[in-house]
Amino acid sequence: MKITVCIGSSCHLKGSKAVVSELQQLIADNNLKDKIELAGTFCMGRCQEGVCVTVDDKFYSVSPEKTKDFFVNDVMPKVK
Amino acid sequence: MNDLCADIGYLSINHAGEELCGDHVETVQQDEGSAVIVLADGLGSGVKASILSTLTSKIISTMLASGIPVEECVSTVAKTLPVCSERGVAYSTFTVLHLINNEEIEIIQYDNPLVILFRNGKNYDYPKTELNIDNKKLYTSKLRLMENDIFIAMSDGCVHAGTGLTLNFGWQRENIIEYMEAFYDVGFTAKTLSTILLDECDRLYEGSPGDDATVCTVRIRKRESVNMLFGPPANRDDCNKMMALFFSKEGKHIICGGTTSSIAAKYLGKQLKFNLNYEESDIPPTAELEGADLVTEGVITVSRVLEYARDYLSENSSYKIWSYKKDGASQIARMLFEDATDVNFFIGRAINPAHQNPDLPITFSIKMNLSSELAECLKKMGKNVKVSYF
Repeated sequence: MKITVCIGSSCHLKGSKAVVSELQQLIADNNLKDKIELAGTFCMGRCQEGVCVTVDDKFYSVSPEKTKDFFVNDVMPKVK
Repeated sequence: MNDLCADIGYLSINHAGEELCGDHVETVQQDEGSAVIVLADGLGSGVKASILSTLTSKIISTMLASGIPVEECVSTVAKTLPVCSERGVAYSTFTVLHLINNEEIEIIQYDNPLVILFRNGKNYDYPKTELNIDNKKLYTSKLRLMENDIFIAMSDGCVHAGTGLTLNFGWQRENIIEYMEAFYDVGFTAKTLSTILLDECDRLYEGSPGDDATVCTVRIRKRESVNMLFGPPANRDDCNKMMALFFSKEGKHIICGGTTSSIAAKYLGKQLKFNLNYEESDIPPTAELEGADLVTEGVITVSRVLEYARDYLSENSSYKIWSYKKDGASQIARMLFEDATDVNFFIGRAINPAHQNPDLPITFSIKMNLSSELAECLKKMGKNVKVSYF
């Protein structure tokens, strides 16, 4: 599984750094380093909805506060 | 013409409690490759010294640049300077560095500490000829320039640093040579080298200098171009034209901006590789692209570079950050301030639809201002700057 976080200008201002570091932490805590690839990208063209995150090809809008919920509800169930 | 050029950088610290500096550096650029640089140290400190040194450096640099012989310049200065009512003399020492076609340097020295020359990493004792003008003893030298020569001119405030405080007799010219020799190979700019020496003087003075101290460094180096691409073109159809012009330029290539880097990646037929390492910085991470030397985010990164550029032109305190950090803004700063002698900007004027949101502090005018202000700062650093808009 590949999670891609936008690190472009708008998402950066909306806290992509915090989202990235929290995801890194959550992946490490759950021992999922072999299963989840965490990547960055520049602008996805949906700055209004930032921080823009995709899981494989599905789009999610994630804020730093919602990162944990996102991980528990949208990422964990899909990891086998 | 050869492919050498001169990187000139100077800085002063003031006598404790004085608002004005009694030292003054004046540079006159004659044409590409020739310049006259005068470092003058006025008698005393404060406003009187400032007037003396400003007049001296201005008169000498203007006259020499017009081709008038040094004898006449010196006697003009002697006749023009106002006489100090307390001391009954008019006096300002000076050092002249005259670069000719980036091939030769003429050094004229009157009573300042002798100019230090590092050649091939070592102190080089260059020949001097004594010249007597109106009972003033001057030293003149004429040398062929070599790549990586570093000339350091200073006022006596530097060699007196620490007298009676941290050291008994201040630190001598030999100590300064020893201290600065260690920085020869690092590749610091002339301005940063001047800053490093002055910081040490300030430290020896325990933060309250007993005299004005000024350092002016001239570094002889090969020309090097850096090209910077920032923003997509206003008209989509111009993408290929803009990329073709950008990538055909000699030198290093920096790409700033998300959309911009995607366009470049498509043009080159290569994949962008992102890394998520924030390098202990609040600047967005960089990316890699085969064919480009550096790929960064746009507005936030470039804003930081502009902050560093402004600081570089004034106090130059943030070189301690950008000279070693690995974030995008520091890397751009090193490439533009240290590596580049010529900078070509390729500025795209597209309006990013994603940024047209009142919630976002990014506007089109900010982007345009950033690039023009950065270009202005780089010109003030003495670089040849060309800006093309698309």
